[in-house]
Amino acid sequence: MASLVTCPHCGARPKEEFTVKGAALTRPAPDASQETWFDYVYLRDNPRGAYQEYWHHTSGCRRWLVVNRDTATHEIFETRDAARKVTA
Amino acid sequence: MSKYRVTLRPALDGKQPIQRNGVSLEARPEGTLLHLLAPPSTNELPCFSEYAANLSLRPVSPGQWFAVGDTALPHADLQALASSLKSEADIVDQSHGRIRILVRGPMAMRVLAKGTAVDLAIFPVGHSATTLIGHITAHVTRIDEDAFELIVLRGFAESLWDELVQMSLEFS
Amino acid sequence: MTPYRLSSGGLVDRSKPLSFSFDGKEMQGFEGDSLASALLANGRLLVGRSFKYHRRRGILTAGAAEPNALMTIGEGGRTEPNTRATVQELYQGLTAQSQNRWPSLDVDVGALNSLLSPFLGAGFYYKTFMWPAALWEKLYEPFIRRAAGLGRATYEADPDGYEKSWAHCDLLVVGAGATGLAAALAAGRAGARVIVADEQSQAGGGLLSETATIDGKAAHAFAAETLAELAALPNVTLLPRTTVFGWYDGNVFGAVERVQKHVGIPAAHLPVERLWRIVAKEALLATGAEERPLVFGGNDVPGVMMAGAMRTYLNRYGVAPGRQVAIFTTNDTGYALAADLEAAGIPAAVIIDSRSRPAPSGYNGRTRIISDAVVSDASGGKALSGITVRTRNGSETIKVDALAMSGGFNPVINLACHRGGKPQWSDEKATFLAPSGLKGLSLAGAAAGIDGLAACLEDGAAKGTALAESLGYGSTQPSFGAVTGEIAPAPAKPLWTIKGVRGKAFIDYQNDVHRKDLGLAVQEGYGHVELAKRYTTNGMATDQGKLSNVNAIALLAEARGVSPAEVGTTTFRPFYTPVSFGALTGTSHGHHFQPVRKSPLHNWAKKNGAVFVETGLWYRSSWFPRAGETGWRESVDREVKNARKNAGLCDVSMLGKIEITGADAAEFLNRVYSNAFLKLPVGKARYGLMLREDGHIYDDGTTSRLAEDRYFMTTTTAYAAGVMNHLEFCAQALWPDLDVRLASVTDQWAQMAIVGPKARAILERIVDADLSNEAFPFLGAAEISLFDGAVHGRLFRISFSGELAYELAVPAGYGESVADAIMEAGREDGIQPYGVEALAVLRIEKGHVTHNEINGTVVPGDLGFGRMVSSAKPDFIGKHMLAREGLNAPERPQLVGVVPLDPAKSFKTGSHILAKDAAATLENDQGYVTSSCYSPHIHSTIGLALVRRGSSRHGEEVMIWNGLRDEFTPGRLCDPVFFDPANEKLHV
Ligand SMILES: [Zn+2]
Repeated sequence: MASLVTCPHCGARPKEEFTVKGAALTRPAPDASQETWFDYVYLRDNPRGAYQEYWHHTSGCRRWLVVNRDTATHEIFETRDAARKVTA
Repeated sequence: MSKYRVTLRPALDGKQPIQRNGVSLEARPEGTLLHLLAPPSTNELPCFSEYAANLSLRPVSPGQWFAVGDTALPHADLQALASSLKSEADIVDQSHGRIRILVRGPMAMRVLAKGTAVDLAIFPVGHSATTLIGHITAHVTRIDEDAFELIVLRGFAESLWDELVQMSLEFS
Repeated sequence: MTPYRLSSGGLVDRSKPLSFSFDGKEMQGFEGDSLASALLANGRLLVGRSFKYHRRRGILTAGAAEPNALMTIGEGGRTEPNTRATVQELYQGLTAQSQNRWPSLDVDVGALNSLLSPFLGAGFYYKTFMWPAALWEKLYEPFIRRAAGLGRATYEADPDGYEKSWAHCDLLVVGAGATGLAAALAAGRAGARVIVADEQSQAGGGLLSETATIDGKAAHAFAAETLAELAALPNVTLLPRTTVFGWYDGNVFGAVERVQKHVGIPAAHLPVERLWRIVAKEALLATGAEERPLVFGGNDVPGVMMAGAMRTYLNRYGVAPGRQVAIFTTNDTGYALAADLEAAGIPAAVIIDSRSRPAPSGYNGRTRIISDAVVSDASGGKALSGITVRTRNGSETIKVDALAMSGGFNPVINLACHRGGKPQWSDEKATFLAPSGLKGLSLAGAAAGIDGLAACLEDGAAKGTALAESLGYGSTQPSFGAVTGEIAPAPAKPLWTIKGVRGKAFIDYQNDVHRKDLGLAVQEGYGHVELAKRYTTNGMATDQGKLSNVNAIALLAEARGVSPAEVGTTTFRPFYTPVSFGALTGTSHGHHFQPVRKSPLHNWAKKNGAVFVETGLWYRSSWFPRAGETGWRESVDREVKNARKNAGLCDVSMLGKIEITGADAAEFLNRVYSNAFLKLPVGKARYGLMLREDGHIYDDGTTSRLAEDRYFMTTTTAYAAGVMNHLEFCAQALWPDLDVRLASVTDQWAQMAIVGPKARAILERIVDADLSNEAFPFLGAAEISLFDGAVHGRLFRISFSGELAYELAVPAGYGESVADAIMEAGREDGIQPYGVEALAVLRIEKGHVTHNEINGTVVPGDLGFGRMVSSAKPDFIGKHMLAREGLNAPERPQLVGVVPLDPAKSFKTGSHILAKDAAATLENDQGYVTSSCYSPHIHSTIGLALVRRGSSRHGEEVMIWNGLRDEFTPGRLCDPVFFDPANEKLHV
């Protein structure tokens, strides 16, 4: 029926305005090992709880976001622009 | 002179303005609509008004604006503006690609709430946002206390118009 | 004996009589009646037949939980089954039909099921119909289908309108009874944006049935006064006739407003129902409490009713339940009813109180009280005739025609549990309370387990004030004066298992689940609440167990000898009450089903006689029939031949178009395409291949360099949106350090392909530029003007057809005019419009691929695009997976052409390729035909196929197998380029 995602640029918007891509992984360096690349392309965690995903505000500002949400409760802990690098 | 006569067919050709109790719909002139593209970290375009005072600037996205005017900008003027503004932003002409629709009246907010989840009651005059109106993406600007201007892809303009007619039916 | 309308009293407007019909019989009611109250006022006790046993059923409640009085309302396209008569407002001309009976409500053949009841007990689906299997389809299933579900949907189209709307507030108050009104007033006065949703037409909830006074005013007058103040506050929105049915993520509430369900002929400009999505910072549930039935034998005989419902019919609607009323109660609420009955001049015959020392304060009546007693059975057929009362000392039969029951109260906490929270058992309240620790939602009043009007007003006001304060609106808590004359429901002593029951004691009325069914479930090992629910179907009807769940859980607990807390509860899910498909659909049907996307050349195509086809949201021209042509193939063959002989014009405006600017645009393109783009010169177009990160082809198209830092990309129509999202992902998430800026310009340009040997001559007449082969060779791209500078556009010399061809883009508003001019300029050269069918033939003849071939499983090498994978580039999307063994396996399907051996034979796209003499088995499958058409140049069906090792098998005979039609066509694999393989026509 409804759920809202808070875009850092646009505010709370219904999920219909967004497109979800999947795990927000860091793309390996071009010269990374084959193993690293395989993991990036194919390997996914499937946690119960917090999970970082790429979401695109397709029908809004058209920015790609990193959404940190709880896979069990759908609670969203944080959203940020995907261009904003965070140091872990 | 060429022997061929070219004419412009507006996307909402033949759609007469709709006047209801408390809300009206009107297709705005297909004048000028420029898409200004700057790096996403850009917060403002300080030089813009100097070169294009007759165009109003509306935020679209980080680093992106629409510059809107009611009359068409001649090709040469557009070229000139593009080179003047080059250091601030690239210009992509969308004058034909985006269509403007004006929704005005005390019930305008009620009509639009049938389509968008944006809380227009706390949406200041001059503010812009892109949102879904029903199934169609549109850029909304509150241009006056009781007036909202929508900018929609040309191909969807007729559908959005039909949706708005339906959404305002309550006030007939 | 029957119920009847009192000569005075109630909130109905006796000056406004309304006529309606029930099962064809004309009846009268008043404005303000519910259908249920009007039926009772007309003496109609028997209103429905039960689901399984077809037992006679009467009206049990006065609200949303009603399990019995389900009716079909309206006629024709407005027919609505399973309407609860207790919530349906009466209107002039309303027609209601009872359900689940044949031939009539009074004489129902299905009632024979009662005789079969030993076979229809719990688990009957699993047991009775298990064997023999052969009988299932012929006997059991039709029987169950006929028995299953009450009411019948109409086959006629619904003539009415529906719509959806969003709403926003600081505080959503659900329920406008005493608690809700008090809370709304508190927050409203403080200045918060408040929405008050209430399912009834008239706000007030229990206040409308209450005889106590507040500050000396009648309770209903207090409600009206409070409502008037709320209505006058600009920051308060009242939504009457609105049921909040679900609580969703982000504190969004779903609600349905019955805008015009209380009128016979709805006004056309208004919807009949409106679906609200309400975004609330905070929500307060003031949803009250549901009275619990008592589980004694015959507790479903018409005339047995909830005590609170009886009070409502008496006080709000001025309807007496009967003349000899008994009250069976476990708490003080029964005495409030007794007092009201006495005041109405129909004193109750007896109060049976399960408690040993009932001492209700405030009750001074003279009704006989039997304490420490139960009603073990009620008897009667169409109407109640008597009850058996059991005490420690024995039993007594009392003749009555109405029986009120009250087993205590269950707070209505459904919404509070919609997001996964589990109800929590309270020993003190002997019921389930809402989960604790909820965010954005709290409960007040009876919904929070609070008893009594005064306490509810106080609680509502306090919580409304506190919530407003938490949202930044300071205020003082309203106070309401003294409540006088109230008998509150507390204290209650739960009574689950009643001893001495002889008849069927129902728990779930709507699904006909009775006490023995639960016992059987426990006995057979289905004692877990989730198992018992499915085994007995308890709580699975449209009322979702509003009356039955707590009784069922408590009885399971008693049967198992544990606390109800241990039994737990089943999950509450949306919707709280059924929501019509109409409301969920809103306006999205018919003309408004989905948006239509129209090309700027739509009108041009239309006036040239195009037949349109929906592709995604677009309407595209399929072909342009001419007078005398007998079928589409004839038109398409003509269009194809003419394009290769003279010239054709095709609308390609739907191609995705993306403008790419920025200092790093070239580097960006070099990384998103598999082939090299860094050195593409200004004024040139290049075919590009985009891969997914896993190495498979994602999309293809051409990109032209218009200036040093400006590119114009085209994508396929189907993937236009996807490619834009993908590029934005690359620019923003992967390489934010690159200066690259993207704008979708799909709608800015009307784009047309001008194709054929005469294309240049025609274009030269309108384009202000030198189009000679030397000045503008194959893959040229330029910004040009037309008609002596009247229009500025872009011209690309690219070809999907293999002919000398151009794509001309002009600003969309000029599209029709320019296309007209081209047709005029090309008339003597024989130019004709062509549609997507001809476009497909032209490209298949040339072996050009589309997403039929780029189907998500192919890598560049499969399509012969191996040379389009740059080995020099250090990085591009998809590069790092391409070396994988499987993507380079020799047995991979590869693009190949296919023709029938006999040109008179044809085959269809999707047909599979078998080795010439192989049997038609999955094991022998070697690939399939991805595209096919009739080629008027080859004079045969031709196809493109992805076939194992296809590129090295040209010339091999194969069998083309259409398994769906069991057709076999002998064929031959060949070069996928059927026409002009040397590309001589392209470069002229
Ligand atoms: Zn956004």
